[in-house]
Amino acid sequence: MLDGVYRLAEALLGFATPLALASVLWATLLGIVVGMMPGLTATLGVALLTTLTLKMAASQALLILVCMYIGAIYGGSRSAILLNIPGTPANAATTLDGFPLARAGQAGAAMGIATAGSVVGSLIGILMLATISPLLGEFALKFGAFEFFWLAVFGIVISGNLTAQQDPLKGWIAGFLGLLVATIGQEGVHAYARFAYGSTDLAGGIGLLPALVGAFGFSEVLVVMCQPKPEVVREMRGSVVPRIADVWRYRRTAVRSGLIGTTMGIIPGVGEDMGAWVSYAAARRASRERDRFGKGSVEGLMAAETGNNAAVPGAIIPVLTLAVPGSAPAAVLLAAMFIHGVRPGPLLMIESPGFLWEVVAMCLLATLAMFVHGMLLTRPLLYVLRVPRERLMPVIFVLCTVGAFAIAGRIFDIWVMLAFGLLGYLLRVLRYPLAPLVLGLVLGDILDKNLRRALVLTDGDLAPFVTRPISLALGAVTLATILLSYPAVRALLAAPFRRAFGVPGR
Amino acid sequence: MPQQGEARAATMARADFFSALVLVALGGGALLEALRMPRFEAIGANPYSVPGLVPGFLGAVIAALGLVLLVRAVREGGRRRGATGIGADAGGARLWLALALTLGYAALLVGTLPFALATGLFVFAFIVLFEWPESAGRRVRGALTAAVEAVIVAAAVTYVFEEFFFVRLP
Repeated sequence: MLDGVYRLAEALLGFATPLALASVLWATLLGIVVGMMPGLTATLGVALLTTLTLKMAASQALLILVCMYIGAIYGGSRSAILLNIPGTPANAATTLDGFPLARAGQAGAAMGIATAGSVVGSLIGILMLATISPLLGEFALKFGAFEFFWLAVFGIVISGNLTAQQDPLKGWIAGFLGLLVATIGQEGVHAYARFAYGSTDLAGGIGLLPALVGAFGFSEVLVVMCQPKPEVVREMRGSVVPRIADVWRYRRTAVRSGLIGTTMGIIPGVGEDMGAWVSYAAARRASRERDRFGKGSVEGLMAAETGNNAAVPGAIIPVLTLAVPGSAPAAVLLAAMFIHGVRPGPLLMIESPGFLWEVVAMCLLATLAMFVHGMLLTRPLLYVLRVPRERLMPVIFVLCTVGAFAIAGRIFDIWVMLAFGLLGYLLRVLRYPLAPLVLGLVLGDILDKNLRRALVLTDGDLAPFVTRPISLALGAVTLATILLSYPAVRALLAAPFRRAFGVPGR
Repeated sequence: MPQQGEARAATMARADFFSALVLVALGGGALLEALRMPRFEAIGANPYSVPGLVPGFLGAVIAALGLVLLVRAVREGGRRRGATGIGADAGGARLWLALALTLGYAALLVGTLPFALATGLFVFAFIVLFEWPESAGRRVRGALTAAVEAVIVAAAVTYVFEEFFFVRLP
């Protein structure tokens, strides 16, 4: 414990240079601006900044990316409150109570509550990042090929389930599509180029960053340009400084939302949106002011904004310990770490134990910057919302194109960006979630290597997949997740409980 | 409203029907291709390490999930004709314009024209064409500011990427 505090202080001191602190300020501010603008998501922001920070030193570049990530998830609350449009998908739950508050003339207060919630959520997430990561890392050392195979399948299934709750089937399809796309190109055992058909570009594989820039940038440009024009920004009155009394009054909700948000972040490929939704639902269930929810409840707004920001450090936990992203922006962060020569995974804690604390320090600095910007710059930043989409979207698309190209200097990556943009747009129109697709792209390699390694080890015997204890547990949870998504199975299981406890069914 | 909701559900069932067919074809195709991949028997490779194993497995899973979706879509009436297509709504024209502009720029202009010129043309055309229907009376001013923005974006992006990031732009 003391060792941790010492290492954290060391990491913070490492960032106490004018250059690093200036980076924290501008990157978080840029993150807030990106988050505010409907159509610009945290994933796209982190992906575009990755291409802009390629030449920097690893810690400097990752610091900027973490600030962008945290800033964007917070910034999305501004447009959710004022325009009733979530700035990023993570702020969808914020609109439910934030917009009614703004309509009732309390936009300033709503902004303040969102700032307070985001800071509290972020701090709870950071605390869990610092405490859970070492434990999870140690646990993950026990993982062999069998466990990593199950982890990949489990990640796809649960991500598909939670990001497409109305229709988990589509979530799973998106996830397996991602896994299949990841197999394109040279594989790691025999160096055979799969699905390449003689093309050296395809043999090199599909780059994660161009694919993400397409799926979250290009497809978003298409979606935004098709939508009807949003309402003009309304006037904002009232102080944006959060009232301590409000925060203290809903402290239980804040802490609960922080814990739920972080947990949602840890679950592979689920992330900030579910962090907000699940926290919001839990707050409504537990609240004494349940009927205020959806009509401008301070508690509901607090739950949503605490939940989504808590999910950010939460999503970084599996990135560091398992090399499995907790959310779509975290997937970009993972890719950026690989580009900069950091190798996340179970061995990270042993190879470079200081790195966890560097990331904790990055998150802390970003949270601090978010708070300062939230206090000082809320009003001037509202001008950002007045930029017409006709003027913004072409610039975004230019950055998508040049960003995809800049990573490796290949025209082929522009084609990948375009293809994934069109695919992403189609999937969205057809109501498939994109997060499992992203997770599949990242997990494809893990699944491929470990399944074959496991089968070679046992010479084709499938028994260890269900006899090793951790394998068995992961497999059982995966199967349960699939079965429980069928209402018939749920009803069957719920019946005895209902009889025993006399709980009326919903 | 319920009628509209029903129409939407029917449209989705029809869209699911077609996307399920694509998925089954894709999964089945991947499975067949995986079976055709080399097994490296000549060099004594372990039969469980062959490149086709995982793509084949994934192809089979996708085809199976596609079949489930297909059955569900047929049950919900997705095979019936008459449901309206997706994309034929009010945003349709804007979608096609956005597609033409973005694809024309990224797939045709970049690599053919110098990067800065291609970018400037794209930004200018995008703004002017999308603002056209609503900008009656302000068109000259709109076009002028669009030209200014186009020049700034083209110059700034080219300069930053070439001078700071040492990227040789196409």
